[in-house]
Amino acid sequence: MKRWFSLISFALILTLVLAGCGGKSANETSGSGGKEVVAWAWNINVPVLKKAAAEYQKENPGFKLKVVDMGREDVYSKLTTGLQAGGKGLPDIVLVEDDRFQGYLDAFPKAFLNLSKKGFDKQEDKFPEFKRALLSKNGDMYGFPFDAGPTGVFYRTDYFEKAGVDPNSIKTWDDYIAAGKKIKEKVGVDLLGLDFNNDDGLFRMALTQQGTFYFNNKGKLNLTSKEAKKAMELNKKLKEAGIVKNTVGWDASISALAEGKVASSPSGAWLFGSITQQAPDLKGKWGVFLLPSFEEGGNRASNLGGSNYVISANSQKADEAYKFMEYFSTTDKVQEEAMKGGLFPSLNTVYSSKLFTAQDEYFNNQTIWKTFADEMKDIKPVNFTGNYSVANSEAVKAVSEVTNGKGVTESLEAAQKRLENRIKK
Amino acid sequence: MKTNKSLPYLFIAPALLLFTLFTIYPIFSSFFLSFQSMEGGKYEFTGLSNYTRLFGDDIFWKALGNTGVILIVQVPVMILLALVLANALNSQLLKLKGFFRVSFFLPAVTSLVAYSILFSIILQDEGIMNTILGFFGIDAIQWLGDPFWAKVSIIVAMTWRWTGYNMVIFLAALQSLSREVYEAADLDGANRIQKFFHVTVPQLKPVILFATILSTIGTLQLFDEPFNLTKGGPADSTMTLGLYIYQNGFEYFDFGYASAIAYVVVLLVGILTFFQFKFTGDKS
Repeated sequence: MKRWFSLISFALILTLVLAGCGGKSANETSGSGGKEVVAWAWNINVPVLKKAAAEYQKENPGFKLKVVDMGREDVYSKLTTGLQAGGKGLPDIVLVEDDRFQGYLDAFPKAFLNLSKKGFDKQEDKFPEFKRALLSKNGDMYGFPFDAGPTGVFYRTDYFEKAGVDPNSIKTWDDYIAAGKKIKEKVGVDLLGLDFNNDDGLFRMALTQQGTFYFNNKGKLNLTSKEAKKAMELNKKLKEAGIVKNTVGWDASISALAEGKVASSPSGAWLFGSITQQAPDLKGKWGVFLLPSFEEGGNRASNLGGSNYVISANSQKADEAYKFMEYFSTTDKVQEEAMKGGLFPSLNTVYSSKLFTAQDEYFNNQTIWKTFADEMKDIKPVNFTGNYSVANSEAVKAVSEVTNGKGVTESLEAAQKRLENRIKK
Repeated sequence: MKTNKSLPYLFIAPALLLFTLFTIYPIFSSFFLSFQSMEGGKYEFTGLSNYTRLFGDDIFWKALGNTGVILIVQVPVMILLALVLANALNSQLLKLKGFFRVSFFLPAVTSLVAYSILFSIILQDEGIMNTILGFFGIDAIQWLGDPFWAKVSIIVAMTWRWTGYNMVIFLAALQSLSREVYEAADLDGANRIQKFFHVTVPQLKPVILFATILSTIGTLQLFDEPFNLTKGGPADSTMTLGLYIYQNGFEYFDFGYASAIAYVVVLLVGILTFFQFKFTGDKS
């Protein structure tokens, strides 16, 4: 009798604990189906979302948004595990960067809400073609375009002056390298900082500028193309000119800028936020010019980074989330707010705002935002494909090999071969 | 007083339950996962394809090699260092024992990320390490940018972190050794070094074995240091099995393949532990 009693208690405890662990459906915890719409985002995106929600509530008093602020990598690992588990425990809205987007779309084709079918097709012309392309699959959009990373070379006006280099005369990458040698000689600082062994940002910018990527627009591997060779050659030339400071990791690259150890940085517009925050004392000593091109008169527009919002296909509040995000991504006022935090909007209706003709004090009263806005229409769409991450890891290796002395063609061919083996599709 | 035979089960039920849910279930489910691949957002059984793919995967072999090199160099160095330190801190002559013990043990309880960031600052091309070397007229070393030195950096970082931890284990064991054996050794005229190698080490053998096995398992699963310091670079020279498992799962969305690699690691841990027991001939 007693044994039965304890067995029954055991079973009872078991069911209780199980109910506690697995019984609580993800919807109750994540909020879909609950009282509020839940979003995951990081960093500077959080206040932008919150302000937009407060604004939106004025017209939609019943709407509630809960923004969960977590680190970028945490968002990705939680999103990945959630999607692996068939969409359990996910919020309604998630922030996903450009380069990762197709990877998620490819691996989890049914995981995100088809926005075009929800009515976003009417809004599509408000965004640049390159953004639409990277958010689409089979002609339908799955992400709300948010910020973009139109590129430019951020440079130290005082160093350039001291070396007698006129930034307007820098038209090609070779001009840029020649200027770097002059600066090194006269001022004694390196032209730029790169993380040769762990990052291929410059390689990607140079590819995008030429309208291609690791893959061509048909999705075929493209690492042995003449564009890829040129982009890789650029890394090699810079390294051999002895004008690059090897900055390992993000923190090192920012401190090199803040401490005045490098004279410039080719980067996305979002670098504005990092420079102004980390080096307030360098106010008035910065300027921006467009990326140099490979041939005189070639395309100088490119993009690095940027992000977008997706809605989980499992969301119980898909309609509410969609309406809010449509408001968020197509309302000038919201995008101006994002702009103040250094996030460059991809919504083209906002470019006529005063913010874009304003002179920026930190940048010596240059109208840098106009420069970036004018660049947007020239940014060529590139095909990230679902295999971006694998390709990226091999491209990083190739950059590392080339800057350590291996031949460009040889290294790119080896990388292409390794990738063909790794991408089974 | 009759005791209820099944009462103990009731007491261990909660612990057993959690263990089943969070340890046993994942062990089995990842084992099944290792025979599956994702096709269009759904998992399908693909037999041994993940395992056969491993054999042709250069990065896997490289990661295995790197992990092996780190294991062979780092574990013995660390164990020896921990032994020597434990012995020194056990000395009767030492003042401020508590302070030293805590200092050596502290690295083991610091936050992984914080210590990795610290090391990456120290090891930058123009970091503290190279500044110190420059002071002595030695050329700067690319600690994180050169394949050989990047491995060295990882080994140094791991040793810094885990030596104190093993030292504490050895210290605990040293405290329990009997004084008489040492007195006998003194009478026989053994010097300190002889005492260390002929009296202390033999008596500590089971504990050394225990620490070695723990460290071996830890090194085979090495992830944090390469993840935070080098991301496996330059050119995969610090890619470890743990990091490769993570990348396959979380970056390439290939959890089936990641599970297959994880099971290879399980197998390796099993084999290595078996041999360590066998060669050290633990009779106790």
